[in-house]
Amino acid sequence: MTVPIDQHIEQKQDVTFRIFRFNPQVDSKPYFDDYTIPVERGITVLRSLNYIKEHIDASISFRAFCQAGICGSCGMRINGLSQLACTTQVWEVLAKSREPGLIRVEPLRNLPLIKDLIVDMDPLVDKMKHYSNWIDSTMPESSMGKKEFLISEEEFLRYDKATDCILCASCVSECSILRANKEYVSPAVLLKSYRMNVDTRDALHGQRLAELVKDHGVWDCTHCYRCQETCVKSIPIMDAIHGIREDAIELRGLKDTSGSKHAEAFMSDIEKKGKLVEATLPIRTNGVFWTIQNLLPMAVKMIMKHRTPPPPPLVKPAKGIKVFRELFREMTEHVKQDHKSHKK
Amino acid sequence: MKRYAYYLSCINESMTKEVDRSIELWQKDLGIEFVKLHEGTCCGGSNLDYVSPKHFALVNARNIALAEKQGLDLIVSCNTCLMTIRSAKKKLDETPALKKEVNDLLKKEGLEYRGTSEVRHLLWVLIDDIGLDAIRQKVKVPLKNYRIAPFYGCHILRPSTVLGHDNPVDPSSLDLLIDALGGQTIPYTHKNRCCGFHTLLVAEQESLNVAAEALEEAIQLKADFIVTPCPLCHTSLDGYQAKALKHAGVESSIPIFHISEMVGLALGYSAKELGIKRHIVS
Repeated sequence: MTVPIDQHIEQKQDVTFRIFRFNPQVDSKPYFDDYTIPVERGITVLRSLNYIKEHIDASISFRAFCQAGICGSCGMRINGLSQLACTTQVWEVLAKSREPGLIRVEPLRNLPLIKDLIVDMDPLVDKMKHYSNWIDSTMPESSMGKKEFLISEEEFLRYDKATDCILCASCVSECSILRANKEYVSPAVLLKSYRMNVDTRDALHGQRLAELVKDHGVWDCTHCYRCQETCVKSIPIMDAIHGIREDAIELRGLKDTSGSKHAEAFMSDIEKKGKLVEATLPIRTNGVFWTIQNLLPMAVKMIMKHRTPPPPPLVKPAKGIKVFRELFREMTEHVKQDHKSHKK
Repeated sequence: MKRYAYYLSCINESMTKEVDRSIELWQKDLGIEFVKLHEGTCCGGSNLDYVSPKHFALVNARNIALAEKQGLDLIVSCNTCLMTIRSAKKKLDETPALKKEVNDLLKKEGLEYRGTSEVRHLLWVLIDDIGLDAIRQKVKVPLKNYRIAPFYGCHILRPSTVLGHDNPVDPSSLDLLIDALGGQTIPYTHKNRCCGFHTLLVAEQESLNVAAEALEEAIQLKADFIVTPCPLCHTSLDGYQAKALKHAGVESSIPIFHISEMVGLALGYSAKELGIKRHIVS
């Protein structure tokens, strides 16, 4: 079928790029500059930025290299969403834009700003060092180069998707907890840590895990799924975070940290009552002292509003709990068998 | 009358009882009958899945199977229960071996997970099944004097591979409901952000910072209240509000409503009937 010529003409429109500007050596505060250029269908945000830099304003600073979604250099916020400029189509952004014909371009969040759209990646690299985001081979040095270090396909599939990460830091930019505390490990580092920890050739597993369960580590993730949703490579980052937690519980037990104690409460309450016993959840997670110190004023308000969760004896078990409990315990036996055969 | 199985979320049975109470008041007005699943158990609250993935699958296959036994869709009014049960469903539907293992156990209770019932949020039922026009016609007290900040929460939006009802970047269903009830929805950039609930007991300060950000914007925009489809978001934004705002140095407050209460108000029920006085921030 031939496409009428006038449809081709419509495949071009003026687009205004509202670009975040800040040069800390000159500017007292950030501002935005507008650049309006004609853009054809099929043009990416990065090509538009290159055009603006080449033809209108050479002072705009941004990072870019491969222009093909491989190097991860051009992560930036495009209409509020962290993504790669080189794989983001202008027309697709416009179709969802609240302001017709306008695209806002801003630097990634949660990393220090250097200039305009460039952020400092060093804090991320430092965290990757801190959490040993590399493989320390279990192969004796004398054997290296003499034989292959084979892994099974089944094992590779456990971290296949995690190896797609190109460190563009889009997930870092979207992370809710990092926004609240810059010390937090960050999703990209958790993903890398998971990838290394499930690799059987690695010798640092226990040491890395011990670091991951500390403050600002894996238990601080609040399950908001923003990292996963924004990932430019569609990596299920939350699966990796949950994978580290599962591993931590298996190797370090359920009483290891407040995070694991909190998780354990769900497991034991479901088995006992089929319902969560919320009244004692803070105590079981953090102990009596913490609970009194942190939650007493709120508890008083809740009592006054008849909002307190019922004490354990008054939590009514789910109907038919006895049969449910049998099923639950039978599944516990299945899991034990799985662990035995896994260890073999 | 449209019939659904209604999942009893732990938090609505304890701290946020007003959610189910208000739904009970107006369900018939909108031609809905919710059949409560008293045999249902806790979904695992976004925690059981990594403590024990197999128990997680069993528990939620059973929750869904209870609805399937009655030939009804399973309706949930807590975001995290929604995401959790839908995640389990996706896993079960994609993993025949897991489904078989779980069903071999469920057989002992006379149950079978088949994958025939949908797991949906109350908000989706209102929008998709009842319809905005039908709701509009039932409104007795339009919320026309209220500027309302819609706070969707995470687990009704993300991961979109599990939820998929709204665009997670720019959701609209709650805005549409507010509009149908006669209220004025405000452009609220925190609408798709996090409330911090899931780390309140593990990383309290971070969680309070997250909550404070969402509260501050709504206060700055002069919203009359924030409305949320999730009782966990409500607990974080209402119960922890004083603490969060104090830490952020904000001397103000803002009421937080559940969608079930907002619907109830527009359908003519009083704040007292709906249990709004149980909120910490009034």
